[in-house]
Amino acid sequence: IHSARQFSSKETVTITYVDPSGDEHPVEAEVGQHLLDVAHAKNIELEGACGGELACSTCHLIFDKDVYDTLPPKSDEEEDMLDLAFELTETSRLGCQIRVTKEFDGIKVRIPNDGY
Amino acid sequence: AVTDSPITHGRRRLRAVVVGSGPSGFYTAKYLTSSVNKRIAADRETATSSSSSSTSSSSWPFSGIDIDILERLPTPYGLVRYGVAPDHPEVKNVENDFAAVPGNTHSRAHGGGTVSYFGNVDVGRHVSLSTLSALYDVVVLAYGCQSDRGLTIPGLDLRGVLTARQFVNWYNGHPEFGYVADIVREALWDRDGNNAGDVDDADNGAISKAKAVVIGNGNVALDCARILAKGRRGLKDTDVPSSVLDVLGDGVEKVVVVGRRGHVQGAFTIKELRELTKLQKEGYDVSFRVRQEELDMGMTEASLQELQLASGRPKMRIDALLREAAATTEEEGEGDHEAPTKTIELRLLMNPIRIESNNNRNNPRVHHVIFERTQLQGEPGKQLSVGTGQYEKISADLVILSVGYKGSPLEGMNENMFDSQRGIVVNNQGKVCGDNNLFVVGWIKRSPTGIIGSNIMDAKETVASIMKYIDSNPQNLLALHEDSDDDLSKGSRGLIRHLEANNVKYVTWDQFLQIDQAERDRDRLRNDVQPREKFLSVDEMLACLQSTC
Ligand SMILES: Cc1cc2nc3c(=O)[nH]c(=O)nc-3n(C[C@H](O)[C@H](O)[C@H](O)COP(=O)(O)OP(=O)(O)OC[C@H]3O[C@@H](n4cnc5c(N)ncnc54)[C@H](O)[C@@H]3O)c2cc1C
Ligand code: FES
Repeated sequence: IHSARQFSSKETVTITYVDPSGDEHPVEAEVGQHLLDVAHAKNIELEGACGGELACSTCHLIFDKDVYDTLPPKSDEEEDMLDLAFELTETSRLGCQIRVTKEFDGIKVRIPNDGY
Repeated sequence: AVTDSPITHGRRRLRAVVVGSGPSGFYTAKYLTSSVNKRIAADRETATSSSSSSTSSSSWPFSGIDIDILERLPTPYGLVRYGVAPDHPEVKNVENDFAAVPGNTHSRAHGGGTVSYFGNVDVGRHVSLSTLSALYDVVVLAYGCQSDRGLTIPGLDLRGVLTARQFVNWYNGHPEFGYVADIVREALWDRDGNNAGDVDDADNGAISKAKAVVIGNGNVALDCARILAKGRRGLKDTDVPSSVLDVLGDGVEKVVVVGRRGHVQGAFTIKELRELTKLQKEGYDVSFRVRQEELDMGMTEASLQELQLASGRPKMRIDALLREAAATTEEEGEGDHEAPTKTIELRLLMNPIRIESNNNRNNPRVHHVIFERTQLQGEPGKQLSVGTGQYEKISADLVILSVGYKGSPLEGMNENMFDSQRGIVVNNQGKVCGDNNLFVVGWIKRSPTGIIGSNIMDAKETVASIMKYIDSNPQNLLALHEDSDDDLSKGSRGLIRHLEANNVKYVTWDQFLQIDQAERDRDRLRNDVQPREKFLSVDEMLACLQSTC
């Protein structure tokens, strides 16, 4: 049964978006989807001004260190945009570049606090 | 406490107006709507969960918010449409997000908000600020920066000298900047003023032998340089108007971007610099040059310290990128076979002193710019570029001054509301100082810096101030508007009455969508991938609404 589920395109995991005021929003996220698209599908307030084209940095998300370390490496272009991100941290990534994996089940991602 | 105020009986809707439809205006409309909705939802929750049956005095006196966005031009989006470089279509994608704001008119019954658009309404001319103040509970100024920061050097008035704002507006098809075409055409193709020969070369896709100098330290300067160098072949798939391509021809052979400061202090961002280094590889026939010795000159002890700071990370990467580019530049010098035809060169630590003419009495035009070599002095973070007494002359048929946009006061704005030094509306976290219902956001609030995303936080700050104002001044709001939702003299309806009485042909959101559609009509496009061919005048836009265009 388990292996059958693995091949289903609709496999989901639970991830929690933590909004700038600290409120947690757990959502079901489809494996393979970008974190930006998941947020939009679930009405989480995360901007994505350039529509995921690596041209804005408004989809900035902050990961826990242990999760961050498992993420695929950044391209130069993602680094370039991160340089402009507000409240950049050591574990920041762009939500439009990170796809949900099975291992994401139970993780938290933070939307940077912009003070409001 | 307010116990028996009439507001607890008939709740009414809030009315806000936003002046300007750039990123800051749209983000404000979006976040103001969501803040009000959240507020109402929270209120409802406390009302239902509280056991006391009294019509709680804490309950919010408003049932929702309606926002009108006013825009001087028929078309919205401000600098996204008329500033952002046409070869960066992915940046312009944000228009899709903004387009969803007026579209998102939730049902009023659920405390939703409506956002309406009034294009072709010039605030100050068609409707005064004081009229808006009286029609709405809240007025938000989001009108951006409509003039240029001054650079006071001799020769600015010579033919062939433009500001980046003029040049950028022109290549983006802004209806008020068509006149720039002649100035650029002369500079690129008719420098002798004899109107002979090579004027047609532009149409034939020739590369102009002209020399262009772009003075500036930031991304806008790089945008101008790229557009000049790329020319028709490099821009045909973008929304650069065809008439602009006719003037640019296949681009300009030599473009020099000159910055007063060093590369560590420049306002360029790495994405735009990296793009320059890749133009050749990507088939644009443009090489990028930067001089090793100028990078070294900028690396003072203080600059090194600036790189070590936490905020130094982006600078460090810029330094590495430029050093690599400088090394490649030198390699290329050693007998390359297929050297690119066009170059963009970045010069640093050069201060423009004066612009000089060709001394031709019949056709006086710009001929070259005199720069003074500067060096950096001072503490880290506070380094100044100081003249060294060494001068260099750089030839120029076209000079573009990219030293910044500047804000100006709105017609009818009282003097102490505007800081003319900084070119911003005087404010405290977005609340315009003084006893008024005015707020401010975006470039006209914080001065012309930052990227589109910077307007998000900025808008949130202003929205927080608006919410605070509404909460602390419900009496004021009521005194101003002792009316019901159906009052014809307030909000949108009052505005429409005013505009109609004054014969202003405003453009609605649906009409804008018609214009938008028409611009993308296949018959207008030069190829299958061009996103749109813009209308170049307001009359054309309005005519499109009259007929089936
Ligand atoms: C050349 C250039 C390129 C840029 N490129 C990028 C980029 O690639 N990426 C990026 O992130 N950022 C870029 N930016 C920055 C970005 O455009 C700004 O941060 C943003 O547009 C500022 O928004 P705003 O709403 O304050 O002003 P604006 O975008 O200027 O909007 C102001 C609006 O108000 C209207 N208006 C003015 N006066 C009146 C009046 N009296 N009545 C009614 N309406 C009025 C104007 O017509 C305009 O539509 C660029 C800026 C420039 C100048
Ligand atoms: S959405 Fe623009 S960079 Fe991710």
